[in-house]
Amino acid sequence: MTTAPITTAPAARRRPTGRIVLHICLIAVLLVMLYPLAWLLATSFKPADEVIASLKLLPSHFEWGNYSTALDGVNEVSVGRLLWNSLLIACGAVLGNVISCSLAAYAFARLRFRMRGPLFAFMIATIMLPHHAILIPQYIIFNQLGMVNTYWPMILPKFLATDAFFVFLIVQFMRGLPRELEEAARIDGCGPFRSFFSVILPLTRPALITTAIFTFIWTWNDFFTQLIYLFEPEKFTLTLALRSFVDASSQSAFGPMFAMSVFALLPIVLFFLAFQRFLVEGMASSGLKG
Amino acid sequence: MTATATRAQDAAPPAPGGKRARKRERQGAAWVFLSPWVLGAAVLTLLPMAVSLYLSFTDYDMFDAPRWIGFRNYTQMFTEDPRYWRSVITTLTYVVIAVPLQLLLALAVAIALKSVKRGKGFYRSAFYAPSLLGASMSIALVWRAIFNDGGSVDNLLSGMGIDIGGWINKPGWAILSVALLTIWQFGAPMVIFLAGLQQIPAELYEAAAVDGASWWRQFRSITIPMLSPVLFFNLVLQMIQAFQVFTPAFAVSAGKGGPADSTLVYTLYLYDRGFTASHMGYASAMAWALLLAIGVVTAVLFRTSRAWVFYANDNNEGGR
Amino acid sequence: MRGNGTRTSLALALVLTLGGTLTGCGGDGGGSGGKVGLRFTWWGNPDRAARTEKVVELFEQRHPDIDITTSFAGFDTYKAKLATQAAGGDAPDVMQLDYRQINQYATSGILLDLGKHPKLRTSEIDKGLLATGVVDGKQYALPVARGTETVAYDAALWREAGVPEPNLTWTWDDWADAMRKLSASRATRGRYGSTDPGQSEDVFEIWLRSRGKSLYTKDEKLGFTADDLTRYWEWCTGLREEGAVVPAEQTTQMDGTVENTPLGRLKSVSDFNWDAPSSGFAPIVGEGLKLAPLPVGEDGTPGQYFKPSMFFGASAKTAHPEQAAQFIDFLLNDKEAGAILGATRGIPANDAIRQDVLPKLEGFDQVVSAYQKQFEGRLKDPPPAPPKGDASLQTTFSRDYDQVSYERMSPREAAENYITEAKAELRQ
Repeated sequence: MTTAPITTAPAARRRPTGRIVLHICLIAVLLVMLYPLAWLLATSFKPADEVIASLKLLPSHFEWGNYSTALDGVNEVSVGRLLWNSLLIACGAVLGNVISCSLAAYAFARLRFRMRGPLFAFMIATIMLPHHAILIPQYIIFNQLGMVNTYWPMILPKFLATDAFFVFLIVQFMRGLPRELEEAARIDGCGPFRSFFSVILPLTRPALITTAIFTFIWTWNDFFTQLIYLFEPEKFTLTLALRSFVDASSQSAFGPMFAMSVFALLPIVLFFLAFQRFLVEGMASSGLKG
Repeated sequence: MTATATRAQDAAPPAPGGKRARKRERQGAAWVFLSPWVLGAAVLTLLPMAVSLYLSFTDYDMFDAPRWIGFRNYTQMFTEDPRYWRSVITTLTYVVIAVPLQLLLALAVAIALKSVKRGKGFYRSAFYAPSLLGASMSIALVWRAIFNDGGSVDNLLSGMGIDIGGWINKPGWAILSVALLTIWQFGAPMVIFLAGLQQIPAELYEAAAVDGASWWRQFRSITIPMLSPVLFFNLVLQMIQAFQVFTPAFAVSAGKGGPADSTLVYTLYLYDRGFTASHMGYASAMAWALLLAIGVVTAVLFRTSRAWVFYANDNNEGGR
Repeated sequence: MRGNGTRTSLALALVLTLGGTLTGCGGDGGGSGGKVGLRFTWWGNPDRAARTEKVVELFEQRHPDIDITTSFAGFDTYKAKLATQAAGGDAPDVMQLDYRQINQYATSGILLDLGKHPKLRTSEIDKGLLATGVVDGKQYALPVARGTETVAYDAALWREAGVPEPNLTWTWDDWADAMRKLSASRATRGRYGSTDPGQSEDVFEIWLRSRGKSLYTKDEKLGFTADDLTRYWEWCTGLREEGAVVPAEQTTQMDGTVENTPLGRLKSVSDFNWDAPSSGFAPIVGEGLKLAPLPVGEDGTPGQYFKPSMFFGASAKTAHPEQAAQFIDFLLNDKEAGAILGATRGIPANDAIRQDVLPKLEGFDQVVSAYQKQFEGRLKDPPPAPPKGDASLQTTFSRDYDQVSYERMSPREAAENYITEAKAELRQ
């Protein structure tokens, strides 16, 4: 499991023509995949009467007004504020998940304790429960804690490792790490805490980055939780504000909504671009075992 | 699956303080590591789950007090609600289409990307891009435009002489457009596959190449078995998520599950019963039936995994 | 109030399980710096938000001791959010309510009896509308504004097709004939006459009323039979099969927004909608857009009515009922507030404010007010608020009709299905 050199997969050793064919195939698939994104971008420039009714990709003329309307903010809350709120929640959630899930995963993957089997099974089971079913009880709890209309209902659960998906993911990573590492650490007199922080955690970095990226994106897009718990427009997020452009009982503003969507996409694109590098390179040097 | 980790530690020479003291210390340490999870699981998961289990035996309209009605919700669900069974069939259809196709696509792209030397970062980001979007309202509108009558897909297919018309408004085709939305966002399993692929020791391929094994042979005898744990992880999680599919169906059908209930997947109907019709008791019963069903399928998957999932490091344990 | 007690005890049980260390402090009350804090929620769009925000500021200037926190969302999301808040025992102090929510919220003890507050004047509010906010003899909610159904149509195309424009006395048969002609005419270039009215419970209600029946009886039972519904759906199915109204593939794409109706997608030349939201058609249809009354019964009975487009209510659990009532009074009766709000929630239900506001209206609001004016004194009183349990029936209605229009059920089967489901929902 020590560093597997960055791959020499079978295909890579084929002739240059093979490589060109591969590139052509990839680009063809990519073009198909990016088509809806192009549509999204093009629609953000469409005038009001074409947003829904037109089935053509390109707008008849470019309507920059959509962007200026979107950038005016919603309900007298500026886009900057909405962006800041979204970032606050997403970053809080990332921090929470990375810390709490790695702690729990370490216990499940590397430590022995009573009830480990049943608790692990329970953790997996919590992935299976549709969250709509526990929405109301959770709301009552957060309401009693006085946390409604704060960001805690979005952040606190992450600090308590309720995203079992990530605990499971990190457990799977940690299982692949060679045990000799901890043995060596233990001989040097490290307890479980030292060996977690100085041996295991650094090696789990790729799993943690995966967790961070997925958490960031999923929290950013998690419309429903934000809707239920946030009350004041000053606390709204970009994702939530998007919906304010559409209301069934009056006129909707689909054009600005699309513009806002494009705008809301930028931070996650940047976040992904910044961290995706570590993702796979890092993984290559540790390991993910099923 | 997690038991092996500690085995080696136990075999280590006894440290000062004696073996039992160490053991107790490690027990204690484990609980310290687990404490956030235990608190979260108890308060934010177990407690709400218990409440929802209780509610599943009541008539609860979210406003008045829950009224105990025994198994009434369950019997109504299984015997008197044709729409419930329609939603079950729709969900199964979705799972059968979306899960294999998404995994296949993610795997194919991951394998192709592994061989690419130039522009790897670009490809990875570009293929991940759709997954950044989630199923927002904008992407829903885009999807509805593309799969509508006279939309891009219709035009393309008509051009090839296949006349289906709009997918989103044809029962039978609509669920496919929902599945395609999920398949399109294959970034997460792709990233996990890539990680798994990177980890397969290159020596294995070199040795095989020396033996003159074909690409297909290498794929079958090295890639698949070495990747099987990751494949299994993705399969289990994608399947669980597929059974709970909500947002793509909600988005594409504007929350209605139409046309003619053909995209009314399980959790969408659950949401409809609970939040639109205020039958929280019934919705809770549906949630528990789903939990049990997913549990059974997951258990079966874990069972079969012993036959095909290959663990290089711990030959003493199969999957869980 | 039974519900309230148990909700609290359920919540209490939860808290006790948490170890009893956590003290509850639900959102109500509070307020910063010795001020009284009120939470106010509504649904709507950014324009309504901007105007509402201004009015709230004005109120806070006049009452420096009251601090109002506001929030809004789109209608569908608002409903789910309010229900969750109410179930969690955390309903906002002042809330905007829909016709279909009143009964449920009132009988479950969520709403405050507003009739008892002397500071809340109702004398200027239209009597017929006022009565719709009464449940079990108590005034739980006050109507804000009124709206009525309309047939929005592209008058230019109608003229081109040689179809006479509708008037106050056109009947359902006249309507159907017009749809046939429009669909067949070259002038409409393959567009259909109208949306299929079979999917709309709102239109069905008006059709019923024009035949002397109603959705619900006074004692909160269904006011029609499977036969009535079968007749309606058979009639719609006939028109659909003739091509006079849009096919199922178009109907199923409706998502509640104006833009996604057949008229909004330019697939038909007319559509049923409420009058104020029809403003959304203006940028799409253009100059030719006009509003016509709904058809009347054979004997001239009008089915349409002035519906309270929304209500204000207060939470029964609010810590400050006085201030909540004062705020609602301000929103409904204050002249200055009325001038700022204009017709953003519909044509005001307050007679005096309406007189003030009408001449100042601009753009489409003017069209709506002119449209409503022709009905003054001609319509019957609105029905009382729909009974509890009705909340999901609109969806059920269009879902069942979807089965008809995709030819999976006959109108009769679907109608009987609907009656069974409706009775179950109404717990009859």
